[in-house]
Amino acid sequence: MADIMAVVLITAGLFFLTVGAIGLVRLPDFYTRLHAAGLGDTLGLSLTLLGLMVYEGLTLTSLKMLFIGMFILLASPTATHVLIRAAYRAGLKPWTRGEG
Amino acid sequence: MMASNNVKKIVGGTRSGERRTLLLLTLALYLFWIILSGKMEAKYLIIGFASALIIALITQPLLQVPARADQGEGRSLYNLPWLRLAAYFPWLLWQIILANLQVTGIILNPRLPIQPQLVRFRKKLPGPVAYLTLANSITLTPGTITVELEDEQYLVHALGDAAARSLVPDEGEGEMPARVAMVFAEGESKRTHLQQEE
Repeated sequence: MADIMAVVLITAGLFFLTVGAIGLVRLPDFYTRLHAAGLGDTLGLSLTLLGLMVYEGLTLTSLKMLFIGMFILLASPTATHVLIRAAYRAGLKPWTRGEG
Repeated sequence: MMASNNVKKIVGGTRSGERRTLLLLTLALYLFWIILSGKMEAKYLIIGFASALIIALITQPLLQVPARADQGEGRSLYNLPWLRLAAYFPWLLWQIILANLQVTGIILNPRLPIQPQLVRFRKKLPGPVAYLTLANSITLTPGTITVELEDEQYLVHALGDAAARSLVPDEGEGEMPARVAMVFAEGESKRTHLQQEE
């Protein structure tokens, strides 16, 4: 039962990681691509980690995975923010509809 | 024993509050060490405690967030409204899931219906940690990224109209800023002030 749960969760996580990768290719510019990367950072990794935790059961290893998840939820938006602020300050113009 | 004597000497002249936070930090780091190492032999436990203590001594000043005149009062990181933060987190997770599905829909849509835009909004919050929480929450939610935060003003890049409108509605303020303000609100006066804004 736990195995099935784990498979479902990891598959869902991989789905979001894949969509994030597709978005990275399809979206037009740096700013919008960061949004796609956010998909993998949040639900993609969280669901994959959650699936691994379910598979592992209540052990020290799954507790460590929880720590990894918490760290990612703190660190990933910080890194994304620094990247996008650097681009904005460097004067990169965001792509908008209409202007081409 | 030696170590604890040293601590008393170093922290001796300061307030008892700082000594308590030092102890708390050491214990938290020690617990983290034990979980990470998973070994219960005396050697590792002693090395772990020594490292935890040293790291706590070195990093303690970093956990005092300095006050900035234009961004509310500074506070110690120990002095956060942990309970209300814990209550805020499930709501944030739910928002992240909703936003993920929304962005997934946009990306997989063959017509790629995006309307990228920069939106600005002002929000006065009671402290630096509150500003950080809101900025991180915005970035964590796919579809919106905090570009800049200066003088209470947030500059956010949004992937679509819906994401932008959820933060900066045509009337009033977005739900996320309101909730973060509620989490960090102090005392009754601020809470009634919030209700007036809504």
